[in-house]
Amino acid sequence: MLKLDRRSFLATTAGLSFLTFLPRIAFADGHADTLRVAIAGETGDLDLLQNVSTLSSYSAVFDALIHYGPGGALEPGLATAWKIAEDGLSISFDLREGVSFTDGTPFDATAAEWNLKRWMGVADFSWIGIADAYDNITIDAPNKITVKLKRPVPAALLELTIVRPVRFLSPKAAAGQPIGTGPWIVESYSSTETVLVRNDAYWGEKPAFGRMELKVVPDELARANALRAGELDVIGGDWVAALSPRRAKALEGEGMTIVAEPGTATTILGFSPKSPMMQDKAVRDAIFLGIDRAAVATVLFEGYADPTADIFPTTVPTAGARTPVPARDVAAAQAALTAGGWTGDASGWTKDGAALEIAFLVSEESFPGSRRIAEMIQGMLMEVGVKTNIETVDNATMHERRPNFDYDLTFFATYGAPYDPHGSLGASFVTASDTGPDGKIYVHPDLDALVATALETGGDAREGAMQAVYDWLRDNTAACPLVVTQRLWAVNPRVKGFTLPATDYDLPFKGITLG
Amino acid sequence: MQRMFMRRVGLALLLMLAATALTFWLVTAAPGNVAALIAERAAGAGADGEMIAKIADDLGLNDPLPVRYARWLGDALTGDFGVSLRTGKPMAEEFAERIPMTLALLAGGGVLALVLSLAMGIAGAASNGGIVDRVLHGLALVGASTPNFFFAAMLVIVFSVWLGMVPTFGVAGLTSWLLPWITIALFPASVLARVVRVNMQDTMSRPFATTGFAKGLTRSAVLLREALPNIAIPYMTTFGAQFTLMIIGAIVVERVFGLNGVGAFFIEAIRFRDFIGMQAILTLFVVFFVSINLLVDLLAMLADPRLRRPRKA
Repeated sequence: MLKLDRRSFLATTAGLSFLTFLPRIAFADGHADTLRVAIAGETGDLDLLQNVSTLSSYSAVFDALIHYGPGGALEPGLATAWKIAEDGLSISFDLREGVSFTDGTPFDATAAEWNLKRWMGVADFSWIGIADAYDNITIDAPNKITVKLKRPVPAALLELTIVRPVRFLSPKAAAGQPIGTGPWIVESYSSTETVLVRNDAYWGEKPAFGRMELKVVPDELARANALRAGELDVIGGDWVAALSPRRAKALEGEGMTIVAEPGTATTILGFSPKSPMMQDKAVRDAIFLGIDRAAVATVLFEGYADPTADIFPTTVPTAGARTPVPARDVAAAQAALTAGGWTGDASGWTKDGAALEIAFLVSEESFPGSRRIAEMIQGMLMEVGVKTNIETVDNATMHERRPNFDYDLTFFATYGAPYDPHGSLGASFVTASDTGPDGKIYVHPDLDALVATALETGGDAREGAMQAVYDWLRDNTAACPLVVTQRLWAVNPRVKGFTLPATDYDLPFKGITLG
Repeated sequence: MQRMFMRRVGLALLLMLAATALTFWLVTAAPGNVAALIAERAAGAGADGEMIAKIADDLGLNDPLPVRYARWLGDALTGDFGVSLRTGKPMAEEFAERIPMTLALLAGGGVLALVLSLAMGIAGAASNGGIVDRVLHGLALVGASTPNFFFAAMLVIVFSVWLGMVPTFGVAGLTSWLLPWITIALFPASVLARVVRVNMQDTMSRPFATTGFAKGLTRSAVLLREALPNIAIPYMTTFGAQFTLMIIGAIVVERVFGLNGVGAFFIEAIRFRDFIGMQAILTLFVVFFVSINLLVDLLAMLADPRLRRPRKA
């Protein structure tokens, strides 16, 4: 008979004790010159023309003519200077001299033309204004080109800063070879990690460390644990490996550095323009006034969000004048309903025999955390007397119902930098635009005309034209902006000088040194 | 024997066919539009209704379901499972890259479950109501009731974050497999330990065990020499069932430990409505389930002559 005697007990205890005193395996060693960044999905081959690879790694490998700087400032990239003709029908670029792709191919006007013709004037890329308006390209000198357009595109320069397809690939690169002029060279990529090595011939400021490993860790808790264990140096970024506010708060309490900065995308509550209930401005006003945005930001986003009443935050260009964020006012919300012909109180409202009851479409897959926000809003609107029914659906159902405006209320988010404001305005507020499964935030014939004018107006008049759109949206309570979520990153203490890249589509490496 | 073998194989093939038809119907009945997803992948924000309609037409998505299934089956039989909507790579390539990872996870977990369950079951039976038996009974209950994602998180916090003994994710040598193997083996080891314990208890009351005691053998000797061989058939069939169920555990374990296997791909396929990826992986699961169960049936028939006898009315 087996017995748990003193000898076996002591042996077991000693064995377990030995295990706990084993030296920590030095996972962090041997990485003095390597920044290890979590990515939620594999990078893929970084094909500039396919919508497959994750967006976060392109800017590390490929340069654009113009780079997006803080607040939407246009910074020289592969173009050192540019000039838009007075009629807006051509843009000439002075190309940076002495630059080569990492396979040795020189970057010059011929290489630039080859790249631009891959997407300009191509139907698949007609959603980019400059591609849709493209006429032809002329090579004016070995390092000078001019892009001619069929019509002016005021946002053309901003469009040249987006992630893809506008960046430059070596004309000699074989299929599936990501060869650019950027600060990093792809050494290898697989479904578990992508390894980048510094491009020592980079024309700009070279990274302070020689290697960057992008580790694929799909699970957020696993990413946080890897950061705690010192196996990762940096996690975060909406398009890199999203860090939730709650997790950020936990990591902050454990000695990790949390970097949070104002975001560029706005979370918006959209009213269906086809819903009879939502066509009543009084109902839209009641909802707008009945929501406590500050509470949503504090409670659900742990303070890592900023309440807003505007469509775009000031972190994107021409975001317009600021609208004061309204404090929640139940009495004012009820007064708006009364003024709109509704009768009732906190127990419910009716008009022409119809009860005020709205369907709130939510998808956790489309928008993680939206169910909690919806429940909080449901509670707030309940106190106004607006009955809200939350319908939780999957991503596919959301993709079917949202384009058909098959809801009363649902969540939207603006695209953020570098796509805004022209990206979200041109897609989400225009009747004729085809946004496929994304749907639109609000459409109206009057709004169509204003947006068209704003997108076609350049120069000094542009700001006023954009403001006219924002004013119309505000005056008609066409949408209910809630919060601007902050850009969140968590950083291991060995990483010094961490600064956020210009957009959430870029990897952080500029200014970073490794301890 | 040969006829019975062929009959079992034939039934298994029919079962696979029925299961793939069912999964095909379920996947296509799920909400969402494959054409819209392909258009979105190709053109991003530029995907429009016209493009979506053209893709649907090109892919034959407007054809009747039986026609689509027959076409899919014909391709699948030649190893063409389509192109993943999420990664843009052929599923055959995805399988070639990911199946070895999942097999390593299942094989290691299976061996661990085998060793742990036999050790726990035999130790419990040897203790027979003693403290060891009761402790192991409690552990088996806890193990069978603990969700693997929670257990995995606890293991990572203790052994990776606090003690720094093993990595938190990915594959970096043998040590990186320890936590995934332990996690995936927890449930089957707990269930199988109880199977061993209960069956041994039952076997120990049989006449041949009494004879063993009468010959002066110790309890441990009777357990190992007489009882253990006699629980082989129930243990083997339960192990087969548990081993096939480990593929479901792999879906969670691979994601938590950042392992690039089929299970992790399945989760991403569901998230991104990668219908082609989902269908291919479900087919793989069906083949795995049916094949393992067939293998166990055949092994049991080889081990026990009674199972080889033809059934009589």
